[in-house]
Amino acid sequence: MTTTDQPTETHEQVEPPVAFEADEADWRPSREGVIARLVALGALVVVIVAIPHLVDDVYVNLVSRVAVYGIVALSMNVLVGYAGQVSLGHAAFFGVGAFGSAYGLAEMDVPWPAAVVLAAITGAVGAIVLGAVALRLQGLYLALVTISYGLFAERTMFNIRSLTGGGAGQEAPRPSFFESDVQYAYLCLGFLALALLFDWRLVSSRSGRSIQALRDDERVAASWGVNVTGYKLLAFIISGVLAGIAGALFASINQVAVAPDFGFSLSLTFLVMTVVGGIGNRWGVVLGGALFAVLPTLLDRAHENFHFFPFSIIEATWEPAIGALLLLLTLISFPGGLAQQLGPVLGWLQFRKFAVDHGDAGPATAGGGMGARP
Amino acid sequence: MAILETDDVSIRFGGVQALTDVSFAVEKAEIVGILGPNGAGKTTFFNCINGFYSPSAGRVHLHGEDVTDLKPEERAKRGLGRTFQQVGLVRSFTVIENLIVAQHKSVKYGLVAGLVGAPWVLEEEAELRRRALEVLDFMDLTEHKHSPVQGLPYGVLKMVEVAAVLATDPEILMLDEPLAGTGPEEGQAFCNRLKDMRRELGLTIVMIEHHVPLVLGTSDYVYVLNFGSLLAEGEPDEIRGNADVAEAYMGEGATTLD
Repeated sequence: MTTTDQPTETHEQVEPPVAFEADEADWRPSREGVIARLVALGALVVVIVAIPHLVDDVYVNLVSRVAVYGIVALSMNVLVGYAGQVSLGHAAFFGVGAFGSAYGLAEMDVPWPAAVVLAAITGAVGAIVLGAVALRLQGLYLALVTISYGLFAERTMFNIRSLTGGGAGQEAPRPSFFESDVQYAYLCLGFLALALLFDWRLVSSRSGRSIQALRDDERVAASWGVNVTGYKLLAFIISGVLAGIAGALFASINQVAVAPDFGFSLSLTFLVMTVVGGIGNRWGVVLGGALFAVLPTLLDRAHENFHFFPFSIIEATWEPAIGALLLLLTLISFPGGLAQQLGPVLGWLQFRKFAVDHGDAGPATAGGGMGARP
Repeated sequence: MAILETDDVSIRFGGVQALTDVSFAVEKAEIVGILGPNGAGKTTFFNCINGFYSPSAGRVHLHGEDVTDLKPEERAKRGLGRTFQQVGLVRSFTVIENLIVAQHKSVKYGLVAGLVGAPWVLEEEAELRRRALEVLDFMDLTEHKHSPVQGLPYGVLKMVEVAAVLATDPEILMLDEPLAGTGPEEGQAFCNRLKDMRRELGLTIVMIEHHVPLVLGTSDYVYVLNFGSLLAEGEPDEIRGNADVAEAYMGEGATTLD
């Protein structure tokens, strides 16, 4: 525990032995190590695939919710983690996607896949509008604009009766092949897997690298020939597309999209879960998303089943308070979030050494931490 | 024809006239030094050349083309590379990752191909990595290839920064105080390396540096800035004997730089 505290600071004080660093990167596990990792990964995949069958019927929709929050977390990660922009209005992209898809399904009668495409496009358009503002503002001012953008979406856009069905909401039926809860949970998990794959490709190709470069220093990126404006806007678009798709999936969990579902507190939850998960780390943010997707239900069940302090007074409505507490603990002791705490395990699973990370988590902790604090 | 040329560049920030009618010209494969006391406007001049600042008056020409209205990234694409006084690197990346991002403008694959992971993308990525290692080898930085930038000593970082700019494959290399934080022997070694770069890569080099003997010993031609305007220009020997320059640097009464 003590060794992982304050990664950046320890790193500046203790200079890493250079040869050791180089060995570290070229290190390969032994044959037994490879087998052990493959077995562990295989077991993990089997468990994840079996989850919709393992959990009680009433919780199957919760699995879908976890997957959807995971995709939102990846969307947040692109914007906050990779591009270093603040977003306190992410529920707007999410909601725009949900209503875009629902409108397509209910009013235009398009097939479900087309509705998802529609959601992705509306999410992207919503993000471009905010992105255009972000090109001119930074830090606190950008945070304020994203808040008002989220509020505008919640109070105004999502209440246009002809588009969103007003108070009754807009129906969003599921696709015909995934109508049961279990089937739909698989669909959501499939989308999450695709989003993870997408995120990996983004970071390993030129676009993702350039976005991260301009997060650290726009002038340096520009002096290397990176089109700063273009890539910043691209980060917003990618984030909007992912959030829009997540919104479409979310709408079809309950088969209806209603405006109060996409309020300001949801935007806060999205930001908190990303920070608690570990900004810049795709596995961390997905775990953070999963945690906050189940948190309200978890609190509810704890309240019902444990009749002693502190559970007797905790209720599901405490979620924001618990989120705030986790956020504080994260920022103070583990700026890298869950990803930092699980660092050795995550590293081991990715065929590296089981070693405590001394703060060179790279893009994860360094730039993201600053971008996350509005 | 000069490869890089400025034409009476002036810039004003509010009430401060930071540069006044600075004209200079750099020939291909020349090493040009820029001297001047603190606050003389040297870095401001660099910022005007590479596009971070738009001069209030005057033009900047690159390969004879007027680039005064182009953005920094567009000038970079035309072969202009620069370093920064405060180390200009992506600080959350490792050394080799920095050199890979720095090759941004020579990457040919498109956005979608990169996201899909097309075979030619993987091939090109391997090529980027190979070229990055080549540059690190040239700069004797191979041992640091996987080190995170945060935590490396300042002197090494300055060299990594030069390596990153070399990786952008520039024709003109503009160095802003590359020797800050390095010792005299390292300084001489670096200046020898600059001459190697010129010979082997055909690079044109413009260098701001405070270490006067090294600049005079390395450059083919030297410009001296003082209070935002050109105080003197000429070959190193002429500058060495210039009384105005000596006075600007050493204080009143000095007659030579030595």
